[in-house]
Amino acid sequence: MNRLPDWLIDEKGSADIAPLLVNGSSFSLEFLAAEARAITLRRFGRTMSLYAPLYLSNYCSSGCAYCGYASDRKTLRRRLDFNEVERELAGMKAMGISDVLLLTGERTSEVNFDYLRRCVDIAAAMMPRVSVEAFPMSVNEYSALANCGCTGITIYQETYDPEQYRALHRWGPKQNFLDRLETPERALQAGIKTVGIGALLGLSEPVEEAMKILRHIRHLGKTYWKAGLSASFPRIRPQMGGFQPAFSVTDHFLARMIFVFRIGLPDVELVLSTRESPAFRDGMAGLAITRMSIASRTTVGGYVEPSNGKEGQFEIYDDRSAEEFCSALQAKNIEPVFKNWEPVYNGPSVELKTVREQC
Amino acid sequence: MVNNNIMNELQIDTYSFSSRLILGTGKFGNVQSMLDAIRASGTELVTVALRRFNREQVEHDLFAALSTIEGLTLMPNTSGASNAREAVRAAHISRELSGSPFIKVEIHPNPQHLMPDPIETFEASRILASEGFLVMPYIPADPVLAKRLEDAGCASVMPLGSAIGSGQGLATAEMVKLIIRESSIPVIVDAGLRSPSEACAAMEMGCEAVLVNSAIAVAENPEAMAAAFADAVKAGYKARKAGIMPKSGSAVATSPLTSFLGKKP
Repeated sequence: MNRLPDWLIDEKGSADIAPLLVNGSSFSLEFLAAEARAITLRRFGRTMSLYAPLYLSNYCSSGCAYCGYASDRKTLRRRLDFNEVERELAGMKAMGISDVLLLTGERTSEVNFDYLRRCVDIAAAMMPRVSVEAFPMSVNEYSALANCGCTGITIYQETYDPEQYRALHRWGPKQNFLDRLETPERALQAGIKTVGIGALLGLSEPVEEAMKILRHIRHLGKTYWKAGLSASFPRIRPQMGGFQPAFSVTDHFLARMIFVFRIGLPDVELVLSTRESPAFRDGMAGLAITRMSIASRTTVGGYVEPSNGKEGQFEIYDDRSAEEFCSALQAKNIEPVFKNWEPVYNGPSVELKTVREQC
Repeated sequence: MVNNNIMNELQIDTYSFSSRLILGTGKFGNVQSMLDAIRASGTELVTVALRRFNREQVEHDLFAALSTIEGLTLMPNTSGASNAREAVRAAHISRELSGSPFIKVEIHPNPQHLMPDPIETFEASRILASEGFLVMPYIPADPVLAKRLEDAGCASVMPLGSAIGSGQGLATAEMVKLIIRESSIPVIVDAGLRSPSEACAAMEMGCEAVLVNSAIAVAENPEAMAAAFADAVKAGYKARKAGIMPKSGSAVATSPLTSFLGKKP
């Protein structure tokens, strides 16, 4: 694929929601919130799925201008050894976490596929649900991860604007826009059960970006009928490197975007992380968001050993403890759901004949 | 002499239940409101997803909470399974953990619309029935599939009224009627019911029971809504037993259609 795919550029794919999202839309935010709330309540009930990220490493081979872990940042690089991974997961479990997202940077010799697979293996033995947000992989690699108990992959396109993408990814394997765009499909072809996508909001014109994310999700849903899909809404947070986003994404716009996603994608999981403020997260719970991270650390490890002021990938905004956050949900009559999976459902959703890498 | 109470009980295999309302346990805003709704509904049979069993956090373990209600039979379900193999394994674990002979086979490979997969559901149900489970499969409202499942030894069939959580009511009414007409095992409408009147209609139609979750869990007052559903289910069942007046048929033709037969000798 050398040119942008039709599903990405064809505006018909998001024409139904465009009038709700464009600047100056005649649909009020209050109207959209009410619609989104009704859909969310019907489809997902009064519950919130909870997960927490575990940064396995901050080694990286890429030069993403907006990232605190880009390879030119002067930060101490390290990776958790397998004992540390186990200890961190045990610490997370003690906090009640049953759903973990394992993160790495782009592939390096220190943090490669074998290392990641081993970490998935360890996590799957300890946690009911394990997902991965790491470097793009091949179909065979994703299949091997699925066989080790990885049920979900998160992979953000960062920006769907190829020009911005080129400018922001200064070097490294992440420079290839189309390869990254095809990554969620490789995961689904391998039988990974859920794929989460999104863009780092602020890198490009937000309305256009939102339409493209929505078209991407719809494309994945049509092409891979068993795919569990989710969208995240990460806004750029302050990070080492001091990158200033070119586009501002206000609370009002982000709320509108999330409501419109709920209306346009009524049964897709919508995710909001601790990048957002407590007030914004509490407000969005029950309206459209159905999955949230809690008590997160963006440093390598950090759950068992305090981070000691070491720099994370970005600054967390909602730094409430699991208990504090759950109390806020409960005050809104929303049940915090820590465990919403059973390892018996692990394993790829498709049989891949060519897989050679098994656990 | 016929004991009316026994006649009015819901019979599933050798088990009988005094309530014909079955409750789902997901989607409640908190565990207490779920328990209050269950008590108010008078149900004796509830379904709970294996994935919501949480042995390590008792305060979030639906199974532990449900075990506190006396006289309640648990029917674990396999929601989350995307194929027969996973559902069968989940059923085995569920039986081990809950001790319940019931299993609600729920296989929806598409996590968005959650429509049941008829092929995988049939396969899992066939295996589990042969292993002695009381299998309650959640199915599309397909009369042929329903008979195939009956032949495979299922204890009931649970066709959907409409999509889970859609509140679209008995969108499949005509197909459900066909299933009821031909079924020798209890037919229980599961999913899609929004209001008590729809539950009542399902009972009038001939369902042996209905399963309700979202409509109760998502109501402003789940406890009161559970009681309302209980009343509606009873009313629908009573009405059916009382013999519902047939709808008026076609109009009587002014020129008799059978005059060619001549006068009856």
